This record gives sequence, structure tokens and C-alpha cells, in this order.
Amino acid sequence: MILGREICGSSGNVLVSKGSPLSAALGRRLANWGISTIIVEGEEDSQLEENSVSISPEKLKDDLMDKFANVIHNPIMKKIFVAIYQYRVQKNI
Amino acid sequence: MANKIKLINSLENITSIPTLPIVIERITRLLQNPKTSAEEVGKAITTDQALATKVLKLVNSAFYGFPGKISTITHAIVILGFSTIKSVVLTASIFDSFRKQGDNTTSFDLEQFWRHSIACGAAAQAIAKFLGSNDKEEYFIAGLLHDLGKLILCQYLPNEFNLALSNAQIKKCLFFESEKELFDVTHQDVGAFLTRRWNLPQNLQNTVLFHHDPDPSRDHFLMTASVHCADIFVRALDIGNGGDNKIPEMSEYVWNSFGFESASLSGLLDAIRDEIAKATVFLQIT
Repeated sequence: MILGREICGSSGNVLVSKGSPLSAALGRRLANWGISTIIVEGEEDSQLEENSVSISPEKLKDDLMDKFANVIHNPIMKKIFVAIYQYRVQKNI
Repeated sequence: MANKIKLINSLENITSIPTLPIVIERITRLLQNPKTSAEEVGKAITTDQALATKVLKLVNSAFYGFPGKISTITHAIVILGFSTIKSVVLTASIFDSFRKQGDNTTSFDLEQFWRHSIACGAAAQAIAKFLGSNDKEEYFIAGLLHDLGKLILCQYLPNEFNLALSNAQIKKCLFFESEKELFDVTHQDVGAFLTRRWNLPQNLQNTVLFHHDPDPSRDHFLMTASVHCADIFVRALDIGNGGDNKIPEMSEYVWNSFGFESASLSGLLDAIRDEIAKATVFLQIT
């Protein structure tokens, strides 16, 4: 299934674009943003990698910062954080 | 310490904890005999038709590289070899043992758990390739099983499991840190208990027990450390969920000895995602 209409933030900026595949990861983000209703298109599918969603680099950075919060002081973990962030921005995942 | 003893006693007294299917023991015995034929092993597998169907589905997936080309178990054994078939049967059996339970009284998302576990298996396999290892199937199973203890806790000690889940959320810590604080027992200990009970190979036992603490002085360090890294990369890629939303710290020794400092992490992440895409079939063998 894909998103049938884009999701915008309070200032009108596009958070998730129309046509992005739906996923549990997106569902969790929507819940964090307080969004409870969306318009979808297509049939249900199942993939292991389910987060191929265009979210803004800023939002991705925030999400990753939260995940890495307890370990970011470690220089190796900082390198992993940077590599993952750059990779996910480049691949749009 | 009192909590630890209580929890371990509770586990020892649970008689309904799954046993490994007899077919696995039978195949293991057969494979110890060098004169065993493919037909004999095929016959042992097909005594369990549901299992045989899953094995055929798996061996015909892109994961094993022969999509839609293998029509019988004997054919699968001839093409893939005894060792791979044993891994496939073990994997299918483990899915069977736990998916049948389905009595999840916690808020734990089992679908997300399996996504995380399968992705860790695939990622461990990609890391094994990166390291030049030939035991890719073993690494897959090690990654798949690394959080086995969470399944046991979730299904047989749901109250304790729920406590650890909510404590991890409140403290914003890793699930095993929460378990350690509450019970002085972790899912690694519980998983290791089951791998011993099932008499799984020592490399799998060690990986389940030490995946958060790989130590080069212990046996099977490469496999344990690969799963340790797989867990970190899969969490960072946001694939599935094992019960918390945090990233474990990578061992400095592993980082240096695996050559990650000078390697292209982007290339490794591509390889990991390729393996994960191929492993999607494991989601479908319910």
C-alpha cells in the first residue's frame, strides 16, 4: 500500500510525500507526530525492509539521534551514526 | 539475586517450553553417518509434511539462489548439500515451534520481532561474507536466534516480560539493561537456557548468550561479533523491532578487528540490505 495524499506539518512543509510505501516504521512516526488518519492506495504487501519512506533529513536525524542518544558520546558510535545518516539520506530510506 | 533464582526456577519448571522436533535429532544422527544417502535424509524430512512444505518453499526462494527450480526434498539435498538442508530444516522448525504458540499476552509486537530477527540473520550473513567466512547459513541461524530468550519470556513469563518492556521505555534504555536491572537475568541467559536444552551447536549457544558482549577470548567470537554488529546495523536501518528503540554500543575491539574503520560502511550496508531483501521469504513460512 502507498500513501494516497501527502502528509504536511503544521507549517505546511511536506513530511511524507504522496506515493510513499506504507510501513510499520511510518506508522510509528505518524503516531509520534500525533497523526491518526491518512489516505492510502493499493493492496497490503509484506517486505522485511519496510521503511522506504521519504522523510525529511531533519526528521531522520532527530529519529536517529533518539536511537543513538545513550551511545553518541562514543567516537565509534558517532562514526556509525554519521555513516547511517548519510546512507539513509542518500538512499532515501 | 533472589529475583534471578526465582526466574530461573520458573523457567526450569515450565514443562510446555517447546522441544526441538524429533526430525532434527533424526537428521543430525543421519548426517553423522558418512554412508547416509540423500534419499534417507529426504525420507526423514518428509515424515513431517508441513515441515517438508516449508523446506521446499524456502529452498525455492531467491534466498537460496534456485527460485522455483527444486521440486522434491531429495532434489534439494542433492543441490544444496546436507549442511544447508539441516540449516533450512532447523530454521523452519524453530518458526513452527514458536509461531504455533500465538498466545501473546504482552504488548510486544511479534511481527516486528520476527522482522528484526530475520533481518539480523540476513545481516549476519552479509557480515560473514564481508569477513570471507564460508559458514553463511550458520551465521543466518545465529542472527535469527539471537533474541530467542525474548520469545520464551514473552510467552511463558509475560508479567516479568511486560515489566522489563515498560521499564526500558521509561528509562529509555536497552531491553537487556532493563532486564538486568529488574531481575539480574537477561534474554541472553534465557535464550542460552533453551539452546542448551535443545542441544544446539556450541557456536549458536555462545552467540545467543554473548551477542551483547562479544569477547575474543571466548570460542566462536567471529559469529558472536557478527551478530553483535548485525543487531546494531539492523536497528540503525529501522527494520523490525526487538522491544526497545535504542542502539547497543559496538565493541571497540570488533570495530577495529573487522576493519570497519577503513571499510566502506556504505558498501556493507548495501550488502546487508540485499541479503535482507532476499530473506523476505522467511516472513511467509507461517
